[in-house]
Amino acid sequence: MRSRTGVPADAIWQQLSERAAALQDTHLAQMFADQPDRFAQLSCRAGPLLLDLSKQRVDVQTLDLLGRLADARDMRGWINRLFAGEPINHTEQRAAMHWALRVPPEQPSPVQQQVQEQLERMTRLVERIHAGQWRGVTGEVITDVVNIGVGGSDVGPMMVCQALDDAADERAVRIHFVSSMDGSQLSNLLHQLRAHSTLFIISSKSFTTIDTLYNAGTARAWLQRTLGTAPAVIGCHFIGVSSAVEKMTQWGIPSANQLALWDWVGGRFSLWSSIGLPIALRIGMKGFRELLAGAHQMDEHFRTAPWSENVPVLMALIGVWNTNILSIHAHAVLPYDGRLKHLPAFLSQLEMESNGKSVTRDGEPVSTGTCPVLWGEVGPNAQHAFYQLLHQGTEPVTCDFIAPARRYHEVRHDAAAAELIGQHHLALANCFAQSRLLAFGEAALPADEQLPMHMRYHGNQPSTTLLLDQLDPFSLGALLAAYEHKVFAQAVIWQINPFDQWGVEMGKRIATDTLELIKGSGRASGMDSSTLGLIQAAGAAFTSKDA
Amino acid sequence: MHLDIYGDTLTALVTAAALSSTGHQVTLRVPAGPVADDLDAHRMPYQEPGLELMLDQQQKAGRLLTGSAQQMSEDRVEAVFLALSPASQPFAESVIDQLSARREHSWLVVNQSNFPVGTTESLQQRLRDGADPGVHRAVICMPEMLQEGAALQSFMRPSSILVGCDSDWAAIQIREVLRPFNRLRDVMRMLRPREAEFTKLAINGMLATRLGFMNDMASLADALQVDIEQVRMGMGSDPRIGEAYLYPGCGFGGLNFSRNVMSLANTLESSGVGSELLEQVLLINERQKEVLFRKLWQHYHTDLHGKTVALWGAAFKPGTGRIDNAPALKLLDALWAQGVTVRVHDPKALPALQALYGARADLVLCDDPYEAACGADALMLVTEWKDYWSPDYPRLRHLMAQPLLLDGRNILDPEFVRSSGFVYYGIGRQ
Repeated sequence: MRSRTGVPADAIWQQLSERAAALQDTHLAQMFADQPDRFAQLSCRAGPLLLDLSKQRVDVQTLDLLGRLADARDMRGWINRLFAGEPINHTEQRAAMHWALRVPPEQPSPVQQQVQEQLERMTRLVERIHAGQWRGVTGEVITDVVNIGVGGSDVGPMMVCQALDDAADERAVRIHFVSSMDGSQLSNLLHQLRAHSTLFIISSKSFTTIDTLYNAGTARAWLQRTLGTAPAVIGCHFIGVSSAVEKMTQWGIPSANQLALWDWVGGRFSLWSSIGLPIALRIGMKGFRELLAGAHQMDEHFRTAPWSENVPVLMALIGVWNTNILSIHAHAVLPYDGRLKHLPAFLSQLEMESNGKSVTRDGEPVSTGTCPVLWGEVGPNAQHAFYQLLHQGTEPVTCDFIAPARRYHEVRHDAAAAELIGQHHLALANCFAQSRLLAFGEAALPADEQLPMHMRYHGNQPSTTLLLDQLDPFSLGALLAAYEHKVFAQAVIWQINPFDQWGVEMGKRIATDTLELIKGSGRASGMDSSTLGLIQAAGAAFTSKDA
Repeated sequence: MHLDIYGDTLTALVTAAALSSTGHQVTLRVPAGPVADDLDAHRMPYQEPGLELMLDQQQKAGRLLTGSAQQMSEDRVEAVFLALSPASQPFAESVIDQLSARREHSWLVVNQSNFPVGTTESLQQRLRDGADPGVHRAVICMPEMLQEGAALQSFMRPSSILVGCDSDWAAIQIREVLRPFNRLRDVMRMLRPREAEFTKLAINGMLATRLGFMNDMASLADALQVDIEQVRMGMGSDPRIGEAYLYPGCGFGGLNFSRNVMSLANTLESSGVGSELLEQVLLINERQKEVLFRKLWQHYHTDLHGKTVALWGAAFKPGTGRIDNAPALKLLDALWAQGVTVRVHDPKALPALQALYGARADLVLCDDPYEAACGADALMLVTEWKDYWSPDYPRLRHLMAQPLLLDGRNILDPEFVRSSGFVYYGIGRQ
């Protein structure tokens, strides 16, 4: 098995283990009792973000040791290499310069000109669509935009569009997202849309992603059935976003409708690039630039702040402590704001696709565990689902609680503002109460309440709380950049490359062979009995339906 | 009678001209703004047949004076008219408050403004507050029914006069004021104030709905290769339907008409009653304003960059120089967005276009319709001015770069235009 629970023999890891042993018998409730200024000691701020680590099973001395671990792993050097644009994605010989997408136009960056040029192109497209002057082939105004993409070309833009709906431009068009290769979302959508007024964005970095190309092919055929097969149909109804210009052109997308990105942007780090077009269509370019500005502020913070105040580094180190020292291998992301409902899915891709690795940069098996299993759900809804396990199960789980402090003060909420603010306060109260109960257990209850065994709460479950001033483009940009850098910083500690994803390649390849078999044209020799049995059963179902 | 008229609308000017022409002593009080500036500079803010002449004559005869809108009406004034723009409700209230403060004075106030349904009643409440016992006070409502382009005519020879009034004293007063215009037969119809206000909105809603319906039919006719003109005449011959307002075209505009339609929609919406039909009517109309653009776009296979298009007509209807909500504005935006240069002719609306857009390279204003057609890849007929009904086709054919004619008002004969060597598109025409 690949499971790694041990810690390396280096002195610093040993000291961390010793520290854990020393703290082992101290319940979180006791830590708070012993240290009245624990919150002040173990929380810090970066721009619009407040990071509260006081409900983690650490003390200041632990954080200090973890900082020395970061030094031992040359964290500073790696951060410098990241921001110098070195090819630190060594298995693909590429740099990882998502941060360069967020550098303000007036500051120099190695790729400034290309980035600004694409932002300008994006601005022109967005402006034309918002002005009602992007025309379908029959001259109709575009009312609906469908983003066809998968993975980083889908979940990032979708998550941000949902999160920032309160910041929607008043001229915004309706945005839809289509990703699944089986066509379920697309078939539903095509029933509701009018071909004349629908624009599709094909979003694929390589422009070879099979899921996306199949969906795009279906969309093209649907348009052509209504609007005819003239090349102008594609010219008026498709925008392409890709780093593969030739492939876009081959597909029929005219160069005026193409937006570029580059191989130094990883898919799961790409919402800041042209891939973010749906975001800009929803919140306007002004909002999009605020999103970039928030992320840039976090980039600068990550690059310059000492470890003890560095939000992304602290998030990373706490994760390492929980995974490698406390051996907790599950992590839940719990936003207390329905607008962030896609954030858990986004972060599970960001963290697990980046750090779900077991080979070091030197090609050796890793000596420690890496990324834990990460999942999540809108907190108040999850309270009615898996919180039972968090409070009384046998598997320890760490949690990130995420909430905005202020909500519903925008003009558009005038009508029901008082009631909605009341609901927001209720959600905040639940957020704070749940993390308190997880940490303190029964100690959170009045001392004289004696409970039967099945009603008891053990507590001592560590969690982090991230409080945003409010959820707006700037603060969301900062939050997402913090998680991106957390992922990178953890990869530095674990000595792995977070920017490749070789583990998702092979499946695509063998699916091609399997498809041949399902079509009846492949060679069955060498195929296992389970696969053959399933293909046979599926084939029997096709024929009985046809008969 | 001594009458004061507050307002800067067309209704204010028409009312002032018409009432003074029958011997009333009228003071016109125009609130500060562009209309007041125009009048001060002896420019006519509204192009209406006969209006300028009549205002001029009445001023010379001494029956029509202008006064400051900030000053109070004199004590001898017997009726005050409010013909204000829809946004001026606070100003109307301030006028009412000033009148109301003269506790011993009887006042008749005639509200002609397009304010929301119920405003007249609330103004009356305001006027009556604190009045001495025994004085007469009423605010009545006389919704304007002006047809733009024939405004003076429609005020002085009305087919009906709607008056919203709940006071016998006020009814006698208003009958006397309007007696000269109500002679042939009595066309004055008395309703409750809110009923009169609502009737006005409903009439416009109905007319707009007829036009919206016909435009919808015209789109279908296009797709089904049916000539909408034949259909229109067939429908109009049915007495249950009648001929009026059945002309499909490239959308209706105009300040009063469109605003009224919208304020009816808003009235319904804010009362919680759905107004789906009117919402659709407005939507269809907005879409219809771009119908000529869509035809052009398809004709040139979605590539209009660098082309030149001539527009005949920019006013929202013939006979006026106004361009409020005119289809031409949407066409200009759509054409410019595709990189088209537009050459516009209009007998009266060019100054308004100039004022709205200023100087720009892709807008050429032409004093002669044939000058506008010079080098054009298409000619769009947008407003049915009489000047355009019988074009010199050979001359157009010679001047234009491409013989393409888009008739947004269905006033030309498709067969004849085609036989003159043009490609013709109408609204639902074959």
